[in-house]
Amino acid sequence: MSDRAPTVYIRLRKRVKRSRSEPILLKHVAQIIVDPPWEEKLRNLELARPQKKDGNYVLIDMMQIVGKLKQIMPHATIEHFGEPHTIVELQTQARPANVMLLVLVWILLFVGSGMAIMNFHTDVSMPLVHQKLYRMITGIRDEHPLVLQIPYSLGIGAGMILFFNRLFRKKFNEEPNPLEVEMFMYEESVHQYVVTDEYEKMQKQDGQRLDESRRDRP
Amino acid sequence: MKDLLLQSLSALIGLSGGLAVGSGFVAFITVLDLIPRLAQIAGTRRTASFEAAVVAGVLFFTMADFWQAEFGFFIASASAVGLFCGVFVGMLAAALTEVLNVFPILAKRLGLHGFIHWLLMAMVLGKIAGSLFDWLVFQQWKE
Repeated sequence: MSDRAPTVYIRLRKRVKRSRSEPILLKHVAQIIVDPPWEEKLRNLELARPQKKDGNYVLIDMMQIVGKLKQIMPHATIEHFGEPHTIVELQTQARPANVMLLVLVWILLFVGSGMAIMNFHTDVSMPLVHQKLYRMITGIRDEHPLVLQIPYSLGIGAGMILFFNRLFRKKFNEEPNPLEVEMFMYEESVHQYVVTDEYEKMQKQDGQRLDESRRDRP
Repeated sequence: MKDLLLQSLSALIGLSGGLAVGSGFVAFITVLDLIPRLAQIAGTRRTASFEAAVVAGVLFFTMADFWQAEFGFFIASASAVGLFCGVFVGMLAAALTEVLNVFPILAKRLGLHGFIHWLLMAMVLGKIAGSLFDWLVFQQWKE
């Protein structure tokens, strides 16, 4: 009888953002397909309640979900696709970006990169190279070949913009620009770390529980 | 005889030095993913010709430098060369910032997600200003 042993298909999402105050329900972290009578109940199955000590991330593991599911549907067959866990990023009220901070960081980057380029010029003896290059092209000796150096300076800016593709923002080009790739890679690494870290915490808790139960036994 | 020996020894040293520097240069360019990026902008997947351009450029300017070639072009042509040099250095600088993960960390830690392009412009303008200051003011002080 299909009523007695329904099949639940679950696909976990990789990561979701949830507000800290609401409990995490199954529908938040997964797509589910199940026979209609069960659907509402399953979709609203509570998996976890974020607590203060949880920090920014909560890991919802497939095993956890199976445990909860089995409590309400003991005979269900669970078919699971995709990721074995979902990372829930808990958001506190999104603060509007601090303008003062923005200005400060802006100035930091402006002055810092200006100094960095001067350092770089000294490091690689750029003045000497420019003098040589200028002499090579025009045959004129000049201590300060500004004709070459001013376009060079503007070119640095152009090159950076070119690299990050801000100049021609063709959005029908699906290929991401390096900054987007970089943001993605960074987030990926952070999440990988979070998964490992949360699993370690879980293991530690389980270990403690095990120790306690052993201690209880005489 | 002794001369010939010494000369072939220095030729060997020169060759191995060149090999080391050349492979180092290629490694540097490769780490920064400059050529794939340029190919992407140019809308082509054939990077072989770009690699050839890099090698040819390195060879040409090394020889021109060592033989102290003087071409005697008109002065404004130096501006064009300067502009190309600048764009290249700018791309190097941008690629380096990218390797160092500066922007994602700034965005994530300081909650400045929506303002990344502003911060990018800060860096761009800072580089231009720093470089202009270097040539127009700082280098002139030295005497």
